[in-house]
Amino acid sequence: MDMLLMGLCLSVFGVVFVALAFGAAMRSESWNSAVQPELPLVKAAAPARFFSDRVAVPPAVTPLQVPIEVLLLQIENHVRMEQAAAESFLAFPTHALLHSKTTSPFVN
Amino acid sequence: MTHELLNGLSSAEVEQVRKLGTRLIVPSGTSLFRLGDPADRLFLIERGRIRLTLPMQVRGREEDILVEERSPGQTVGWSALIPPYRFTLTATAPLFEAEVIALPREPLRQYFAANPAAGHKIALNLAVVIGHRLQLFQTMWLREMQRTVEVRSA
Repeated sequence: MDMLLMGLCLSVFGVVFVALAFGAAMRSESWNSAVQPELPLVKAAAPARFFSDRVAVPPAVTPLQVPIEVLLLQIENHVRMEQAAAESFLAFPTHALLHSKTTSPFVN
Repeated sequence: MTHELLNGLSSAEVEQVRKLGTRLIVPSGTSLFRLGDPADRLFLIERGRIRLTLPMQVRGREEDILVEERSPGQTVGWSALIPPYRFTLTATAPLFEAEVIALPREPLRQYFAANPAAGHKIALNLAVVIGHRLQLFQTMWLREMQRTVEVRSA
């Protein structure tokens, strides 16, 4: 019974001691901030991003370049197809023929 | 062969006009005339094909891009009759040689003055050639613009 009472007293004493120490620490912190001169503001750091350093920046998407000879052929075929479409319109002018969609692969 | 420029003329008139010109052979890959050259002759195509091109910048390089291809019976080089008498396209014989009749401007004008009826018919034929080109290209222009509008408003 004596041992139990002594343990209880020690626990209560420990709790009180820890509470007092915590209160003292908090007071000293607020006092410190009151007396210390204000530090100059620094620029806010960039927001933290998960794995931002590890993710490689994707390269700019560039269309697969075809050889210039192929490109020139595509342009020429496009001109021929558009000319044929224009000839059809001139032979029989209608809104539908004028605005008919081209099947030219150059623009599709 | 009936040339589009000589439609409606009598055979005697056709012969008279043909005699004003000289036959030229255009070897494959060579130019009949180039953009900006002085235009003092127009050409009736007798044989082969003539490519009409305009320069376009493609990947930083200037390339001749096909505008139109003309075949026997058709006319090229009508800038020779229209001020400021400069060719606005380049004309080349593509894969095979071509043969043309070159009609110089001044003898042609003198013939028109001496034969107004024939001159009138040739002028009307020329209007058909020019008008067709104009209508063709305004249609092609509109179709290209239509596509640009669709892409921009998509």
